[in-house]
Amino acid sequence: MTTTTARASSPPPAGAMGESAPRPRRSSRAPLDPRLVREVRAARAHVARTTALGLVQSACVITTALVIGWIGARLLVDHQLPQHAPAALGLLVMALLIRASAVLAEQRTAHRAATEAIADLRGRIVSHAARLGPRAAAGRGADLTALATTGIENLRPYLVGYVPQLLLSATVTPLCLLTIAFLDPISAVIAIVTLPLVPIFMILVGKLTMGRSERLIADMRSLWTQLLDLVDGLPTLRALGREHGPEKVIATLGQRHRASAMGSLKYAFLSSMVLELLATLCVALIAVSIGMRLVYGEMDLAPALAVLVLAPEVYQPLRNVGSQYHSSTDGLAAVTATFEVLDEQVPADGTIAAPDLRTSTLALRGVSVRSREGSAPHEATLRIPPGQVTALTGASGSGKTTAAQVLLGLLEPERGQAEVITADGTSTPISSLERRSLWDQLVLLPQRPVLPGGTIGSVLAAARPEASAAELEQAATAAALGPVIDERGWDADLGRSGQGISLGERQRLSLARALLSPAQLVVLDEPTAHLDGATEQIVIDLIRTLRDQGRTVLVIAHRSRLVEVADHVVRVEAIAEVDR
Amino acid sequence: MSSTTALRRAERALEIPLPRLLAAVLAACATLASAFALAAVSAYLVTRAWTMPPVLDLSVAVVMVRALGISRGVFRWLDRMITHDVALRGVVSLRTNLFIALARRGDDTLTRVRRGDLLSRLGDDAQELGDHVIKAIVPGLVAVVMFVVVLATITPLSVLAALTMLAALLFAGALAPLAAYRAARLSEDAVITSRSVVAASALEILDDATSLRLDGRLDEHLVQLRGDQHEHDAAIDRAAVPSAVASAAVPLAMILAVTGSLLAAGTAWLDNGASAGQVGVLLLLPLSSFEAATALPAAASQYARSQAAAARLGEIALPPTAPGPDDPVPDAPADTAREVTIDPDRAHLRAVGLTAGWHADAPRIRDLDLDLRPGSRLAVTGASGTGKSTLLSTLAGLLDPLAGRVELDGHDLASLSGRQVRQGVVMFAEDAHVFATTVRENLRVVRADVDDAGASAALRAVGLDYWVATLPRGLDTMLGPDGTTVSGGERRRLLLARAVLRRGPVLLLDEPTEHLDTARGNALLEALLTPGDESLVPASTTVVVVTHRLEAIPEHTAVLRIGDGGHTVLEEDR
Repeated sequence: MTTTTARASSPPPAGAMGESAPRPRRSSRAPLDPRLVREVRAARAHVARTTALGLVQSACVITTALVIGWIGARLLVDHQLPQHAPAALGLLVMALLIRASAVLAEQRTAHRAATEAIADLRGRIVSHAARLGPRAAAGRGADLTALATTGIENLRPYLVGYVPQLLLSATVTPLCLLTIAFLDPISAVIAIVTLPLVPIFMILVGKLTMGRSERLIADMRSLWTQLLDLVDGLPTLRALGREHGPEKVIATLGQRHRASAMGSLKYAFLSSMVLELLATLCVALIAVSIGMRLVYGEMDLAPALAVLVLAPEVYQPLRNVGSQYHSSTDGLAAVTATFEVLDEQVPADGTIAAPDLRTSTLALRGVSVRSREGSAPHEATLRIPPGQVTALTGASGSGKTTAAQVLLGLLEPERGQAEVITADGTSTPISSLERRSLWDQLVLLPQRPVLPGGTIGSVLAAARPEASAAELEQAATAAALGPVIDERGWDADLGRSGQGISLGERQRLSLARALLSPAQLVVLDEPTAHLDGATEQIVIDLIRTLRDQGRTVLVIAHRSRLVEVADHVVRVEAIAEVDR
Repeated sequence: MSSTTALRRAERALEIPLPRLLAAVLAACATLASAFALAAVSAYLVTRAWTMPPVLDLSVAVVMVRALGISRGVFRWLDRMITHDVALRGVVSLRTNLFIALARRGDDTLTRVRRGDLLSRLGDDAQELGDHVIKAIVPGLVAVVMFVVVLATITPLSVLAALTMLAALLFAGALAPLAAYRAARLSEDAVITSRSVVAASALEILDDATSLRLDGRLDEHLVQLRGDQHEHDAAIDRAAVPSAVASAAVPLAMILAVTGSLLAAGTAWLDNGASAGQVGVLLLLPLSSFEAATALPAAASQYARSQAAAARLGEIALPPTAPGPDDPVPDAPADTAREVTIDPDRAHLRAVGLTAGWHADAPRIRDLDLDLRPGSRLAVTGASGTGKSTLLSTLAGLLDPLAGRVELDGHDLASLSGRQVRQGVVMFAEDAHVFATTVRENLRVVRADVDDAGASAALRAVGLDYWVATLPRGLDTMLGPDGTTVSGGERRRLLLARAVLRRGPVLLLDEPTEHLDTARGNALLEALLTPGDESLVPASTTVVVVTHRLEAIPEHTAVLRIGDGGHTVLEEDR
């Protein structure tokens, strides 16, 4: 649901309707991201191949123009029928055929390259972000998920639509221009003088309209939000019996949104008008100039016809680049965002093997982690002695979960240190431990537990492969899984990652897994958040069982009843920064 | 309903007036015709000039070439503006029509639509149909007109050239869109199936990275993501072939047109006494005759996307014919069917053999009998996911029962109109919407006649008066994304204030005190659930509250416990 909402509540894609979207101009950058080419093999191969195909297409365009000019002149001047020059005719057909094949090959490979580049980058983003730790993901939140799911897909229109046209304008345009210069220098001069006008005018129009269209876009955005707000509230209105009437507001808001969208499009389309205007005007100027020179016999017919064919081809790739501008900004934004994530350093793993947690104490000393409002936790100092139950309490937002993350070596605090103290008093910072050796000794039950795929039986057995059937049954009973198993059986498929069962059932299944697992430290994050009073008792009993087994339990809770079971209660506090 | 029928109906709901559509097509044709005419006239100019006529003979052509060089850009701008205006107007009509259709539906469709879905239907899918106008309808009509223009230009010069051009246009005009349509359908399927799997897989890793790393299962999941991605890639790859064919169709068609026209030019010049200018047109025009055809692949893939969007819209609400706001809409069943008025002060709600749920094969509540006399209070409890909210929706007439019935003053809810039901029973959902408007308007959502005194009293009753006092503009403070953000607890109490303002006769409240601190939450629950307590609602009001704060339920209040498998236990005398 997060993805659909994000999509729907994004600003009105007025630009999605039509080619040139009015959108805030980002800082200027290379239209072809150098890092993309350097670091993504598929993109590099794509650029090389497209350049080569661009050269082939240029050769075909030029051959076509020259042959048509030659055949035309021979017909008009020498009265020779085209079919009397089969070689020339064959060459023409061949050139057109090769051009069609080049287009086919280019599109075919462009799609494949985009697919590979997207797959490559998505894999890298996900694996890198997963290793960055909870902070990095939390800092970006929805942005990161949007990038990994839909954002990165913007590379497709960029690589399939924009990049080939960009490369064509770097091959076809100069080569055609060169041919024109060879055939008729004056036409080439006209083209060379007018070509730079295209970007100059585009920039001028852009500058002229930027302030205006940005205001209009802001206006549009707020109208759009109001509109979607009403739509989103329709079920509520209906439940209250007040669903009649707002359709008038929907219509009015819609009309106002249209008016302001048209206002901003008015300026946006100016740039496409300028592009078209310059391109066609240049072709017209070249035609007139050639015509005037032919009248006075200052030029031959064959080059004149060839130049007339070539002139529009000089501008065509530029026009296509202009119309694909939209996909380039989205694509480049995705590339930039991707490399921003990939550039973030993954915290280094330590090298020291973790001591045995059965005899060691985990501790925080003056740990503070920066939060949005200030510091949460602020100056947390606590000890988790082995074999006992410690409860972390505090108001919501005080940094209980964050403190636990620091303790488990998932997060580096801004101040203070997490350490592990062995029975003989030696203390080692958690950050220098080899994390795997620490994590192998603990199990974490997050608020939303994640289960491996499989059946109830197999998921439980995976927690301790050597467990007997009786032990499995015992754990299941202790976690109150009885009714679920009675109803669906041990072989009930949980689907991927346990999505097939309810959150409460998943939580109970995870509790059973924690009970079965040989891990010394059990960390429970708000284990009763989704459970009712009756199940709360089960959790309390489970924590007691764990303690009786000699395990260390860290429970994050603000419900009073869970705190009662704890041997120690530590209160975590946050501070809000007053003067910033 | 087939996707084509759905698209036809969606097109009708756009309510595009024909003159506007014609203006858009005309402007677009003028744009393309400018380029086409520029090519024709400049070819004529150059070959005519070669015969060295007096310069004056050429002046008309010269002026035309210059004018056409300018007109294309201007027409382009006009065309973009008119087309977008038509499309945006269409989207407004479509969205309004959809809203009306959804609001007037008598059945429980609206309750069944997932929240994000409503936004993406009326937001994105409606927008997609706007694109349908811009990218499919207009370019399609323009292509037809331009094909005729091209053929009409060439036929007087040479019938042979016209015939090859016809063949070439038909080839490009059929193959390109068909291939593009196929590609779009294939990739649409790929998006629906494999891409959502990839996205889900990626999301899972990002959401649960910490647990996966601690458990040592991260690599296993990354391998799974690669596998899912691989499958998605294969699906995309299948769509890429027809898409490439579509883009090569025009260059292929050009071969036929160019060679045919060249040969025809020979005959025309040597045998039929055509002028040099005419021969020039025949030689060069084929290269410029396909601009309209190049837009067709994009039009065809838009058509496929529009069909998909229209089908999705059809699932929730699409008026068979776009109704005007004043047209009578059958509100199943019609209000006129019976003259039932519900007493706004007291109403008697009963459930008889009620089985409720979202799917017939998975009932959440089974065989429930419930008799709620005016003024009675009931607490509904049960583990999460047992169907407490489902029960409330069904009692409120928002979700149709799977079996049995709900009665209001002896009338089956199914036989009453939505308006009549809401006169008696109103449900206040847990996830009810807080509108991005003022505090006052958010309360007036319940009743239009709420005045400031009433609003303040309700806010005081739920303990929000201090909060409102801290707001910069009091009752006039804007809430929501662009205004003051509302915390979870404040939101609950605001929703509860709506219920207080509504007064009765039957109020169904879903977890009204969640996210409140224990003392305040318990006090509010007690006031709601104690029969005869008038601090929040009148004594004659029937109140049903879903809660899991068992400890706060007053001693003599009836409790309905929902257990496993939808079985219920009513404890009336505790």
